[in-house]
Amino acid sequence: MKIRIDGMETEVTSGETILEAARRAGIDIPTLCYSEAFGGQGVCRFCMVEIEVGGKKRLVASCTYPITEEMEVRTATPAVKEIRRNLVTLLYRRAPDSDLMKKLFQEYNCDRIEPVDPEESCIMCRLCVKACEKVGANAISTVLRGTEKRVATPFDEGSEECVGCSACADICPTGAIPVKEEDGRREIWHRSFEMSRCEECGKHYTTQPVSEHVKEQTELNSSSENICPGCRRKKLAAEMAKVRLHVD
Amino acid sequence: MIKHQVNNPEERMILVCCGTGCLANGSGAVYEELCRALEGNDRYQVKTFAKATGCNGLCEKGPLVKIMPDDITYCHVQAEDVSEIVEETLIKGELIKRLMYRDPATKQYYRSHHDTDFYKKQHKVALRNIGEIDPAQVQDYLERGGYQALEKAIKTMTPEEVIEEVLNAGLRGRGGGGFPTGLKWKACAATDKQPRYVICNGDEGDPGAFMDRSILEGDPHTVLEGLIICAYAIGASMGYIYVRDEYDLAVKNLTTAIKDARKCGYLGRNILGSSLSFDIEIVRGGGAFVCGEETALINSIQGNVGEPWDKYIFPTEKGLWEQPTVINNVETWANVPVIINAGSDKFASIGTEGSKGTKVFSLVGKVVNTGLVEVPMGTTLREIIFEIGGGIQKGRQFKAVQTGGPSGGCIPEKLLDLPVDFDTLSQAGSMMGSGGLIVMDDRTCMVEVARYYVNFLAGESCGKCVPCREGISLLLDILTRICEGKGKLEDLDLLESMSKTIQQAALCALGRTAPNPVLSTLQYFRDEYLEHINNHRCPAGVCKELTEFYIDPELCNGCGRCRRKCPADAVTGEKKKAHEIDLSKCITCGECINNCKFQAVKVK
Amino acid sequence: MAVNSQQAADRQAIEKIVNSYPPERRFTLAIMQDLQKHFNYLPKEALQMTAVHVKAPLSAVFSMATFYKAFSLVPKGRVILKVCDGTACHIKGSNVMIDEIYKTLGIKPGETTPDGEFSLETVNCLGACALAPVLVANEKVYAKITPAVLRDVIKKYQGVEQ
Ligand SMILES: Cc1cc2nc3c(=O)[nH]c(=O)nc-3n(C[C@H](O)[C@H](O)[C@H](O)COP(=O)(O)O)c2cc1C
Ligand code: SF4
Ligand code: SF4
Ligand code: SF4
Ligand code: FES
Ligand code: FES
Repeated sequence: MKIRIDGMETEVTSGETILEAARRAGIDIPTLCYSEAFGGQGVCRFCMVEIEVGGKKRLVASCTYPITEEMEVRTATPAVKEIRRNLVTLLYRRAPDSDLMKKLFQEYNCDRIEPVDPEESCIMCRLCVKACEKVGANAISTVLRGTEKRVATPFDEGSEECVGCSACADICPTGAIPVKEEDGRREIWHRSFEMSRCEECGKHYTTQPVSEHVKEQTELNSSSENICPGCRRKKLAAEMAKVRLHVD
Repeated sequence: MIKHQVNNPEERMILVCCGTGCLANGSGAVYEELCRALEGNDRYQVKTFAKATGCNGLCEKGPLVKIMPDDITYCHVQAEDVSEIVEETLIKGELIKRLMYRDPATKQYYRSHHDTDFYKKQHKVALRNIGEIDPAQVQDYLERGGYQALEKAIKTMTPEEVIEEVLNAGLRGRGGGGFPTGLKWKACAATDKQPRYVICNGDEGDPGAFMDRSILEGDPHTVLEGLIICAYAIGASMGYIYVRDEYDLAVKNLTTAIKDARKCGYLGRNILGSSLSFDIEIVRGGGAFVCGEETALINSIQGNVGEPWDKYIFPTEKGLWEQPTVINNVETWANVPVIINAGSDKFASIGTEGSKGTKVFSLVGKVVNTGLVEVPMGTTLREIIFEIGGGIQKGRQFKAVQTGGPSGGCIPEKLLDLPVDFDTLSQAGSMMGSGGLIVMDDRTCMVEVARYYVNFLAGESCGKCVPCREGISLLLDILTRICEGKGKLEDLDLLESMSKTIQQAALCALGRTAPNPVLSTLQYFRDEYLEHINNHRCPAGVCKELTEFYIDPELCNGCGRCRRKCPADAVTGEKKKAHEIDLSKCITCGECINNCKFQAVKVK
Repeated sequence: MAVNSQQAADRQAIEKIVNSYPPERRFTLAIMQDLQKHFNYLPKEALQMTAVHVKAPLSAVFSMATFYKAFSLVPKGRVILKVCDGTACHIKGSNVMIDEIYKTLGIKPGETTPDGEFSLETVNCLGACALAPVLVANEKVYAKITPAVLRDVIKKYQGVEQ
């Protein structure tokens, strides 16, 4: 099936989202809650685009809209741009302490707005929740609802499920999840974890529950060494090089 | 006293309204007292018994007691009145004047509520049985033609014919959106996936509406019958009724009804000897307005947080547990048996071109007759408010009527002749919604009304998407500022611009319609906003910071009502002399202005 | 000792409620509703046992417990005052009643008096709009309330001990 995005004809498979199709065609649609690993969430609405099907125009979230018929997509109409600018204003008002929002606020030339809490930096994109889910820990979730909604551990206490992997903090676009690493310990989400040392470079690279977990998962197919990702990559590259030499 | 004529009835039925409104006024005790009085009493000429029914719609006058077939209605009946009713009316055949319905406007007495203006203009379809039957007795429902539509459908019609019939009737969803019901069923039946589900949406989160509650409480079998007919039409195996948590009586009556329907063979395996096997389960809601939205409701049934998802694929294709699902509103379901029984032509003969049948409204606010009313689509707002509703309370001035709940808008005087249907209300910047009609008078501040709804939504939004969560928070901030007298003119532009973004970008209809109360009040009552901003004055005397009451000495005759009602002792004055308000003591609660019969209390 | 036996009884009650439902995710809401009814709030242990029973992460159950208004994570007062703030009640002055309660008891919606006697809640439409404004005190409905009626009701409940 073929659709047109900003005038450009693109081949798509049925069921694919507009955002995926556009990215493949090299057309940039800005997003805030999207990650390739988890797919569209439809949360930030920053990816809104205009579609035209059979002469009818509509605004839709490109990260969740599955393409099932021929259409014309426009990613930067005045209406779309106005939505993005207003969304940036709203998110800056909520999370003024994040570099991301400060930057976007400038970029979109927004009008001054009184922030709710000058120290807030979370934009509630929920990528952290998704990451934690992917890790399999499910230690954090959204709590409350409406304008009070936020991300937290149950009872705002350290969660037994948390393995301290910091996948949540790593994916957070605004640095809103505090992680403290000191004296071989990592503090995150009301808990403190002892860290493992990399057997190669000696650096603390992850928490013990995580390395245990990785060991369990990988016992069958690879060595059970404690190696940080950096060293692992180097080692792998060295092995690849050896392989290549062989072939050559 | 007037002698009543008894048309030689074989038995006499005393119907005690036990709807929520009447129960709150003590009808439970009336019913018990009546049962006691009737038990073992052989002084009546005919067999006499009492029945507890659902809401008659005239809650204002409750507790209501109806005597059938004599067709006598008594209002405000208390347990103490029972012995008098027994002695005077049941035994001697006399009417008791003090309990009769008295028209608030004309002061005329009525023997039966059926003769009153409140009832005469109504047309009961969805509410046809309510107040006439004991909802806990399946026999009562059967006697009024219950489950005949189901028999007709299963025994004489194909599933396709059933869908065609609903389609031809022009039935549109009563839950707010007004989507053609037949189309929904057809789309679901056209999918190639099994199992399929049907859901009854009884969440009714609109904070000013209680028609679904009254149907679920007062006539649960009609909803079950509608669901079973649909199950037959689309080939569904399981149905769910999602009921708002607070509706205890509805859950109780539905539970009984489902048990009875199973016993009678209307639910279970091979219904009425056909190949249809179908059952129904009740799910109690958790208390969240957003769960009325169908995808949020589905999430809630599945045991999740009630957050909606983007409905780019309809639930008819991918709904409950990702299976094809038909979801309709309580009142929609209640219309289904009527359509099958009477035929689509008959049903479609009522209403307007685009909206067929009737609509139930809960008529509340500053109107004389408050309660539930069912009128043909196309009835004008003026007829509903001034003829059925009897006009504005205390002779005050009509200002606006709010329709559609938090997603709706406020309609001003100049549009009162609008025939009410799905399309006209949308054009006026409001919505049919589920059917709340809230009448407002000159003591209602339109800015504060907008703030009220936005505040409601700030707490009820699921908080998933940015435009709704953050946008509503900003709207609320601005409106609160204006109500406190700190608003600026630029605020109105920001309100409008953000409202547009919320309408266009929010994920679900809660967000997309959330700005309606703001935009409609800005459109029709902009001058009130300007008064708040420019002159720091709330013309309705509601916004505390901007209100000062005073008593007009010309109009005050010193009756002292306001002085006695004031909880802060701020009113002083001698009897028969003009009174005064001490502003340093006044807490601007408005008790004085609400209670003055001579309109002498004014807003500065 | 007494504390421990109370704990054991609570745990038993939780177990009984939780086990009365099949171990499926879709019964989470129903289980929590029964727990709320029994305890007047959702004890931590109850949520933990619910999560294990329905095989859901505790975070998901906690998310639901904070999302739905029917649930509370802290014990509520002996007398629960529910002021209806549906639209009909609102335009007939429910906010004046809420102010009045604040003045007499010092609590706002969602709060409980320090002595654990009164909780104030607002509800969205009790379906008794014709009787607006409406107050429900421990399930008893008071119709067409005024500040004066309100004070009497509070006084009445202050008097009665359990
Ligand atoms: C925020 C929100 C709340 C809703 N609440 C209800 C409700 O309480 N009852 C209802 O029947 N429909 C409600 N709806 C509409 C439903 O999403 C859905 O359209 C309806 O149940 C479909 O049934 P119908 O076609 O018979 O109206 C609501 C929609 C939204 C967006
Ligand atoms: S903490 Fe970061 S990742 Fe998580 S919701 Fe907030 S901004 Fe998104
Ligand atoms: S650090 Fe804890 S909360 Fe964050 S993703 Fe890892 S397990 Fe989840
Ligand atoms: S529009 Fe509001 S209620 Fe709907 S998904 Fe977004 S945040 Fe939730
Ligand atoms: S990227 Fe589509 S809604 Fe966030
Ligand atoms: S409850 Fe009796 S008339 Fe409404």
